[in-house]
Amino acid sequence: MKSFRYTITDKTGIHARPAGLLVKEARKYKSRIRIKSGEKSVEATGLMAVMSLGIACGQTIEILVEGEDEQMAVAGMEQFFKRNL
Amino acid sequence: MKDKMFGVLQRVGRSFMLPIAILPVAGLLLGIGSSFTNEATLEMYGLTGILGEGTFLRALLLIMNAVGSVIFDNLPILFAVGVAIGMAKKEKEVAALSAVIAYFVMNIAINAMLKLNGEILDTGEIAGHVLEGTIASSCGILTLQMGVFGGVIVGLGVAALHNRFYKIQLPNALSFFGGTRFVPIISTIVYMFVGILMYFVWPQVQNGISALGGLVTGSGYVGTLIFGLIKRALIPFGLHHVFYMPFWHTAVGGTMEVAGQMVQGGQNIFFAQLADAANVAHFSSDATRFFSGEFIFMIFGLPGAALAMYHCAKPEKKKAAGGLLLSAALACMATGITEPIEFSFLFVAPILFVVQVILAGSAYMVAHMLDIAVGLTFSGGFIDLLLFGILQGNEKTSWMLIVPVGIIYFFLYYFIFRYLILKLDLKTPGREDEDVELKLYTKADVQARKDANGNEGRKKDVVSAAIVQGLGGKENISDVDCCATRLRCTVKDKSLVDDKVLRGTGASGVLHKGNGVQIIYGPNVTVIKSDLEEYMEQGESAPRSEEKNMATQGTVISSPITGIAQKLSGVPDEAFAEGMMGDGVFVLPQKETVYAPEDGMVEFVFDTKHAIGFVTDSGVSLLIHVGIDTVKLQGKGFEVFVKTGERVKKGTPLMRINLEYLEKHAPSVATPIVCTQLEEKQQVILRKEGLIEAGQPLFEIAEKERKI
Repeated sequence: MKSFRYTITDKTGIHARPAGLLVKEARKYKSRIRIKSGEKSVEATGLMAVMSLGIACGQTIEILVEGEDEQMAVAGMEQFFKRNL
Repeated sequence: MKDKMFGVLQRVGRSFMLPIAILPVAGLLLGIGSSFTNEATLEMYGLTGILGEGTFLRALLLIMNAVGSVIFDNLPILFAVGVAIGMAKKEKEVAALSAVIAYFVMNIAINAMLKLNGEILDTGEIAGHVLEGTIASSCGILTLQMGVFGGVIVGLGVAALHNRFYKIQLPNALSFFGGTRFVPIISTIVYMFVGILMYFVWPQVQNGISALGGLVTGSGYVGTLIFGLIKRALIPFGLHHVFYMPFWHTAVGGTMEVAGQMVQGGQNIFFAQLADAANVAHFSSDATRFFSGEFIFMIFGLPGAALAMYHCAKPEKKKAAGGLLLSAALACMATGITEPIEFSFLFVAPILFVVQVILAGSAYMVAHMLDIAVGLTFSGGFIDLLLFGILQGNEKTSWMLIVPVGIIYFFLYYFIFRYLILKLDLKTPGREDEDVELKLYTKADVQARKDANGNEGRKKDVVSAAIVQGLGGKENISDVDCCATRLRCTVKDKSLVDDKVLRGTGASGVLHKGNGVQIIYGPNVTVIKSDLEEYMEQGESAPRSEEKNMATQGTVISSPITGIAQKLSGVPDEAFAEGMMGDGVFVLPQKETVYAPEDGMVEFVFDTKHAIGFVTDSGVSLLIHVGIDTVKLQGKGFEVFVKTGERVKKGTPLMRINLEYLEKHAPSVATPIVCTQLEEKQQVILRKEGLIEAGQPLFEIAEKERKI
């Protein structure tokens, strides 16, 4: 299991479009990827789940990755967040 | 504390189910075996030719008889193992092995103590001064007669040791003996001392038990009535097994000498007499009073109640209610499983349950008074009546009296139920107010069958998924088990349990006690349980349950808003148009209210109010995204009426939008409605391009190959 934290810098937070991109990215990997925000954690591969977190700008979330390709998945997800959010 | 007690008792009760489940089969073998080797029966039916002395069939029947007997003779060790398995949390097979060891160890320790103190002579015989029946042979060991209690003491104790030690880590040099291997070892040591202790304690307990047994036996018919009332009243709590077991299988239910052996417990006495039927003039109704009355209300009484409920159902619901009640009545009459009928009125009309307890309790007493002595293995259905009553002959059992008494009970149940239902307007099946589903299971069932693939797996998935959801998700479930008719679960947080969802899975009732949840299904619960376990195991690696797409081909989604419907590819937003958020359509709104497209649940309302996640009861996850780039409006122009997690009916207003404001401040008011969780092979097909009213069919989910 690997994890990293990220603070959202995008002004509009994770709304529909970024959530769609995020899900698409997360589905590339075999690992189980979860997003933790406060008390709640959801699968990053579910659009509705990700959107239901209602993550806003300035909020810090934790991304948890577990599985055979976790090394790659963590790197990929980290890059994705930096580039898009 | 009280809740914890209940949880433990509940576990004990259900752990009895495994050994109890073997009794019907053992009883069947014993019943058939002894019926057709009984000289009197053979002569009466003229069967001496084919079943008489020296025939092949007679040999087979005698073997069946012996096989059935051996199970009743060895119930203590069966309970020891069964209870240990039931109570162990994990690695149950180790607990089972340990229970067998502990059972031998305890009994041989008692045997050694008896020898040391001269109660068993060096010749292996029991000393003359020992009270008759207090020492008996169990699995070839002469030991104190502890009956099924002995087995339960072993089962509970070993399970406790097991749960405490099965993960123990020992120092390196001893590590081979760590973990589960430690359980048989510690069980051996502990039960050696338990055996020694029992040598001193058990004679006192024996005195207590025989006093209690004497009290029940001595109080005669009143004692029988009290037994009956308590047993029936315990059914809703699922604790009746704990209650009646001592009466059936230990000295609490009386002791009697049969064929030279001291036999303890009502059911044990009956079966001992059955095995020795040739020498018994009439079976003892003092022994069978703990169950003979069940035939009266199970075959006759409760079906009368079912008929009353059917006649009281609303005309338009008679058919549905009739199906439900008929199947419940048949199960009750044939096998004596009463929960389906009892739970059909227990929750909606507790007063009827009070009636049931009183009538049924009195039936035990009436049977006792009339000297009816029909045995049973598990419950009082027709199968048992046939084997242990009719086939044994009226001279030995007085079974014929059950019929007239039963008919009286049928009318008693029928008229009392009918009167109370109509007088108090009780909401028994078929009398519910309009919006209550009669039996939601059929709904889920039909949907599952609609599935074009028609595979069994999907259907199970739907039920199991709904159960998991109703119990607050997989993480919230700490334990799942079942008894004859109910799924018994322990949850971590009881506030997450949703009774409505659980009822929708076909349950006839849901009970709570502390963190224990009992969901009553009926005899098919074992299947539901194993499906659920399988489902939960699979879920380990698969994505979370609620993320699973449950939408089926042909599911139609209606429009949440009035406007112009178009294909998604035309929406003025690249991400949506490419289908990145999922396949769907979009509507250019012309009116300002967004309604729930179908019955379902609001999965989330986005902070800025412009998007709503919605999951329909048919399992489709929908994202309703009002306008393009409307996230930037920070909630202005939207007024939302619902909250996250709220269940709504089709047509419930979800939000109002200010069209004028949106048209001015957003790039477009186009409102994509997309399915976020479709499978690879599924796609969305727009039903009607152009003007559409809210509530009209908007699109349908279809297979990709099927081009329209």
